Amino acid sequence: MTAETSPAIEPPAGRGRDIAAKPRWRRFLTGEDGIQKVVFYIPLVFMTLFFALPVALTLVWSVFERTRFWMEPGFTLFAYETFFTSARAENFLHAMMHSAGAVVISFVLGFPIAVFVRRRVPEIAQHRVILLFILPFMISELIRIFALRPVLSRHGLLNSFLMDIGVISEPISAILFTPLGVVIGEVLSFLPFMVFSGFLAMEAVQKYVFEVCDDLGAGTVSTFKDIIVPLAAPGIFAGSVFIFVNGLGVGLIPNILGGPGATNAGSIVFESIVALDFPLAMAVSAIMIVTLMALLYIGHRLFDLTRILEPIS
Amino acid sequence: MNQSEFTRRLFMQGMAGVAGATAAGGIFGAAAAEGEALRFWAPGIAKVAAKDFSAMAAQAGIGINNIAKSARADEAIQKMVVGDGQKLFDALTDNGGGMEDAMAENKAVVPLDTAKIPNWANILPDYNEGGAAAETIRYEGKVYAVPYISNADSMAYNYDELGFHPDSWGVMFDSQFKGRVALQNDYGPTLTNVAIYLKESGKIEIDNPSDMNPKEVKAVCEFLIDHKKKGQFRTFWDGFQNGVDLLASKEVVMSSCWEPIQLVARKKGANIHYGTMKEGHQTWNNVLMFTKGGRQRGMDEAFYKLANVYLSPWFGARTLATFGFAPQMTGVDDYLNANTEDFDEAARERLLDILNRKQQRYAVKGNSWQNVFPTHIREYLDWWSRLQAA
Repeated sequence: MTAETSPAIEPPAGRGRDIAAKPRWRRFLTGEDGIQKVVFYIPLVFMTLFFALPVALTLVWSVFERTRFWMEPGFTLFAYETFFTSARAENFLHAMMHSAGAVVISFVLGFPIAVFVRRRVPEIAQHRVILLFILPFMISELIRIFALRPVLSRHGLLNSFLMDIGVISEPISAILFTPLGVVIGEVLSFLPFMVFSGFLAMEAVQKYVFEVCDDLGAGTVSTFKDIIVPLAAPGIFAGSVFIFVNGLGVGLIPNILGGPGATNAGSIVFESIVALDFPLAMAVSAIMIVTLMALLYIGHRLFDLTRILEPIS
Repeated sequence: MNQSEFTRRLFMQGMAGVAGATAAGGIFGAAAAEGEALRFWAPGIAKVAAKDFSAMAAQAGIGINNIAKSARADEAIQKMVVGDGQKLFDALTDNGGGMEDAMAENKAVVPLDTAKIPNWANILPDYNEGGAAAETIRYEGKVYAVPYISNADSMAYNYDELGFHPDSWGVMFDSQFKGRVALQNDYGPTLTNVAIYLKESGKIEIDNPSDMNPKEVKAVCEFLIDHKKKGQFRTFWDGFQNGVDLLASKEVVMSSCWEPIQLVARKKGANIHYGTMKEGHQTWNNVLMFTKGGRQRGMDEAFYKLANVYLSPWFGARTLATFGFAPQMTGVDDYLNANTEDFDEAARERLLDILNRKQQRYAVKGNSWQNVFPTHIREYLDWWSRLQAA
């Protein structure tokens, strides 16, 4: 077939004609196959570079052989064995329990605040009120936690107040430098996470829902338990994960408020790195990642976490 | 902050931050040196007599470009062994008794010619070959480091609460002070000091408290676990300010700690003293090292001039006055008496008294030098985790 006998090839009408008319750079910027498509790959690249790759390296290094001051390629599960056969696993579980306690208390204290703001505060002021909870984050975490010491200590404000009003005759020493102190520190540090995510979830609950509940005569408790919590469950879970992860990883809190040798996963990793036991540090990090991924998976199966990102209708 | 981030290393990191705020990237005393400034990776505690390294540079007759450094072992190893530290730094400081071994084994630092340091003749006798501290500056028999500060860590106590001056670590394990005792949250100094106590009081046979075998580590930790379970300890402290607060607020009546903690707690009004323990103490030092990169760039002369300042009584008197650290050379007392324009009579008396007490502490037979990386370090860490969990 020659060019003479073949029908003339013309760009199809409409979109194809536009593409042919536009310079290549303009097509790249505006076309579906150009930059728009690339933009969608940015999160993928970001997640690969800053999440998948570090996680993969963490797993690989955790099975490397330890040398005196570094590590060398190899395959050994010695770091994992060390973790599970020493008391580190026990320390890890204790830290998980403290974090879980902080999650429960944060829910009890923080979620009602989110509900209250959503239900009672005028819509125009809701976001501003919620933003007030950012204020504590503008103070250094170290200072926030350390500031609890003069409040909770043996001769601190709380004990002095209780003694002054005659509630106690001797200072209570069980508040500070105990697991209770750690849980208090975690709650006060991470409570805003529950308020934020709770409020975010509550935004998806339309106000008429409350009105319907009132009209149908549902009590406060049953409205909260049977309507609000199930609707806001993904947000509550997301806030819980934030608190749990931070409680497990921020070593400052047990260091400053915990009892003798109080620790958490972050401290365990840190101690290993300082002792130049890099495979052990990587193994603990890998265990932490797997634990948290498992929690996220369970949470997603139970609450469908994508619901928190659904547009408000 | 050392071996936690909240350890002496973190304290140094804090001091480094102060220095870094004023000194990072700056060249001091540049007029004194013809050549390039020495790029010096060191914390703030490595300088005296000025807020930056200008006085040190002037004294050495060189230029110093100080880059603020934390005192974390992992950071130093990563930077110097696998990072770009060789390109960036000509000299650095770190803990003796381990870090010089780590650096030398990885060929990150080079051996030194002590003949090029005139003040080497002043170095404390313990650093000479065969001396108690000799190994803290040597690797395979060669000198790789110059010590510039040290101390013998002991116990701080509140005299008003105790009513007596304790001279034994045993008081920390006395049940009458149950719940009023703090220990440092660092397996290195804590296990070493307790091992010294148990060894010297004849409770447990220990060969070398700074490098225990697994059986000895277990025995020391079981002793601590037993007392922890009985409620003897209020907490294990991390970080300089944390250590100060525990003593100043009277939350505890005694604590194993660094000497500057006692000094600051005392300034806050509590009657805190720093004792000399008859069983002994963990002694430690910080050292100056010359990087392979520095030698390749021909910075030997500047390095040796700086090393010479670190071993001069001029530096020793001032680090004693500023931080309370022990000078690493002889002749500081003569220097203080001869320099009345820099140190008035009251200052001289105070410093000579501190120096005298330090020398008493250093003279205790059971002292043991810090070992940053003991042979059985994993046993140390495993048993430390058991103590944490108990």
